[in-house]
Amino acid sequence: MSSYRTFLSPLLIALAAVAAVSCSAQGEVPDLERRAQEINRSVMCPVCPGESIDQSQHPLAVQMRGVVDEKLREGWRDGQVKRFFVERYGPSVLLEPPAQGVHLAVWIIPPVGIALALAALYLVVRLMARPRSGRAESIEVRMSADERGEYAARVEAALLADDRRDAGAGR
Amino acid sequence: MIVDAGALALPIAMLAAAYAGAGSLLGGWRRAPALALSARYGFYTVPALLAIATAALVYAFVSQDFSVRYVAENSNRAMPAAYTWVAFYAGNAGSLLFIAFVFSLISVAAVRGLASKLKQTAPYSTGLMALTLAFFLGVITFLANPLERLPFIPPDGQGINPLLVHFGMFIHPPMQMAGLISVALPFSIAMGALLAGRGGRDEWVDIGRAWGMVSWLILTIGLLLGSWWAYTILGWGGYWAWDPVENSALMPWLAMTAFVHSIMVQKRRGMFRGWNIVLVTVAFTLAQMGMFINRGGPVPSVHSFAQSTMGWLFLAFMGFTLLGSLAAFAWRMNTLKSRESLDSMLSRESAFLAQNVLFLAVAFATLWGTVYPVISQASQDVTITVGEPFFNRVNGPVMLALVLLMGVGPLLPWRRATWLLVIKALRVPIGAAAVTVAALVVAGVHRPVALAAVAVVVIAVAGIAHEWARGTRSRHRKGESYPVAFGRLLSGNRPRYGGYVVHLAISMLAIGAVGSSFYEVQRDFSMEPGDSRSLGRYTFQYVGFDRSRYSDRDEVVAEFAASVNGSDLGSMRARRSFYREFRMSSTRAAIRSTPLEDFYIVPSEFEEGGRAVFRVYVNPLVWWMWASGPLFALGTLLALWPKREPAPSKLPAPARPETARA
Repeated sequence: MSSYRTFLSPLLIALAAVAAVSCSAQGEVPDLERRAQEINRSVMCPVCPGESIDQSQHPLAVQMRGVVDEKLREGWRDGQVKRFFVERYGPSVLLEPPAQGVHLAVWIIPPVGIALALAALYLVVRLMARPRSGRAESIEVRMSADERGEYAARVEAALLADDRRDAGAGR
Repeated sequence: MIVDAGALALPIAMLAAAYAGAGSLLGGWRRAPALALSARYGFYTVPALLAIATAALVYAFVSQDFSVRYVAENSNRAMPAAYTWVAFYAGNAGSLLFIAFVFSLISVAAVRGLASKLKQTAPYSTGLMALTLAFFLGVITFLANPLERLPFIPPDGQGINPLLVHFGMFIHPPMQMAGLISVALPFSIAMGALLAGRGGRDEWVDIGRAWGMVSWLILTIGLLLGSWWAYTILGWGGYWAWDPVENSALMPWLAMTAFVHSIMVQKRRGMFRGWNIVLVTVAFTLAQMGMFINRGGPVPSVHSFAQSTMGWLFLAFMGFTLLGSLAAFAWRMNTLKSRESLDSMLSRESAFLAQNVLFLAVAFATLWGTVYPVISQASQDVTITVGEPFFNRVNGPVMLALVLLMGVGPLLPWRRATWLLVIKALRVPIGAAAVTVAALVVAGVHRPVALAAVAVVVIAVAGIAHEWARGTRSRHRKGESYPVAFGRLLSGNRPRYGGYVVHLAISMLAIGAVGSSFYEVQRDFSMEPGDSRSLGRYTFQYVGFDRSRYSDRDEVVAEFAASVNGSDLGSMRARRSFYREFRMSSTRAAIRSTPLEDFYIVPSEFEEGGRAVFRVYVNPLVWWMWASGPLFALGTLLALWPKREPAPSKLPAPARPETARA
């Protein structure tokens, strides 16, 4: 018990402090602004590849942020705002690929692949770990220095023979 | 004069590397040590020749010799003098030369070690490194020569991309490029052993692991520096956006992380011999993919500074490597039998294997998301964007599982564990995690994902701390003082405890990522000079602004007086510059960083009268991400540090008739 109390308490105090602080500031962001940020982060700036309109400093991105803000104030729902941009700039304006039609593949393949890989791992490990009979658990040998030297020389000779065979196969 | 000497050194270096590659492989294959030796000495001349070429290019930049086309394209008189020293890797041709130079240096260092330790393997490994280098030098000499002259001398150059004018320019691009190319070292060492027919002996493991970890560390630091750079200059309060180029640097890192773990199993138990070669081949392929995407690949990105049309050459080189490796693997398959077999599902070995699979899963999901836009464009003629939300959702859960595995795996014994033993070992870490989660819930954290992430991190950290505490205390009881006991504990098993230090660094990264992605607060404020606003515990007054005009840019610096909970933080300055030539803005955020949170102000736009829009963030725990950097280095070096060999017992010197036979 005492072994982890020593390091646990400062950790907990720090974490709780962080949590309390960040949560207090989070409450300060008005709902509309938070929704706007969420949308901004999911819409790509059409002229600055790879950047969301939230990230980008481009005038078009600034203007699009303004549009998001305006539409939300008018009472549009988040989905409507996104659709508005899709109608204007095409589906590639959304950073998240659509989860419908053929594009379902982009979403489905990773989890299916991971599941298959894990299943394969399970099978391989099970196959490899099948207990073999007649295998000694551990062998302990005590040797004198002379015996050890002789043993090493024999091992060397065996390895050398192995090398020759390999070299023969490589030719 | 100097430039001409450099231009002459380039083709000679290319020929030397090509000779070294061909001679070395042939020397290994035909068992002709004299040829292999000559090739190796030829290889040693390449770094010297490339040093001349690189020095010539730097000289051309520093002396502003605009008669050199590449200098004229990537610098101008107005740029800060310090940056003329590093501007040579700002574009495609120069960055290729930089890669080739760095690679020649580290590969010669690796070859020297290999030649003395692994006599049979070294010619093959040297040959592979030299051929890789020859490829780069061929591209430089024939297609992207940075020392090529213009037929006329322009009065001024076009200038450097303004996004590159940042302190990070001195360290991030070199690290990133060196990291990607350094993956070729463990690859060549492993593949050389395979080609030599000695993949089934574990003699290559120590040196392969060492260079693998060096490469891993360089990649890690490169990624961290890149994130830190993005955080301070791109002005969106973030550090990672799953952009194609970011992904292309992350993928080899993921595969290398799998490799440096799995190689331990071969070191300790003589298993996974084929698997390790597969892993390092995957890592090298992904590194080549990274270079391909970086150089005018098909995917649009913010980071494509070195755009060119030669991306396809790199793709071809990658395909060649991959096919060649597959062929070598098929040919030498029979030499790769494991010394031992797995004893149990529940063991350190299978934990390592699970870790490998999960890391590869993240790498392939990332690869899939990165190339899907190209696939959909080609197959359905529809442009689709696969961005941040996709990667967070697909990779997030797997990464969570990996952090959990990072906590549990090291507690499992080699060979075989029982559930009882696992539960006993996990009692303390899980107890700590449960208490932490309970405390967080009471404090007002309710997001399930954040709680789960904190829980797995606490399990990892508590497991390490518990083991260190126990080990130190038991040494202390034998009469060592606490610091000595702790130091001796760490140096007693360096691979293990170095790994623990790296795991702590990963935990810091994870905590930073959780804090900043789930609890970041962002607001835009439109302010007149003199206005005061507050966000969270922070109050800040927009004191005023200062507009100045430089030869290449217009700059506005806004000054703030900030305070936290009423105590003064002094003044903070945020900057926005507009580069006229490039029609591009760059910002520099004002950041007040503490371990608890970052307070971050970045100007979005300035209006004429001084009214301005500022974006302000309170970003919890980001500090921990940058602070993890030194720990990564420390832990990796600790794990790498060679053990002092015990005095060798006297063995009869074996006769080695091979050399005579050849």
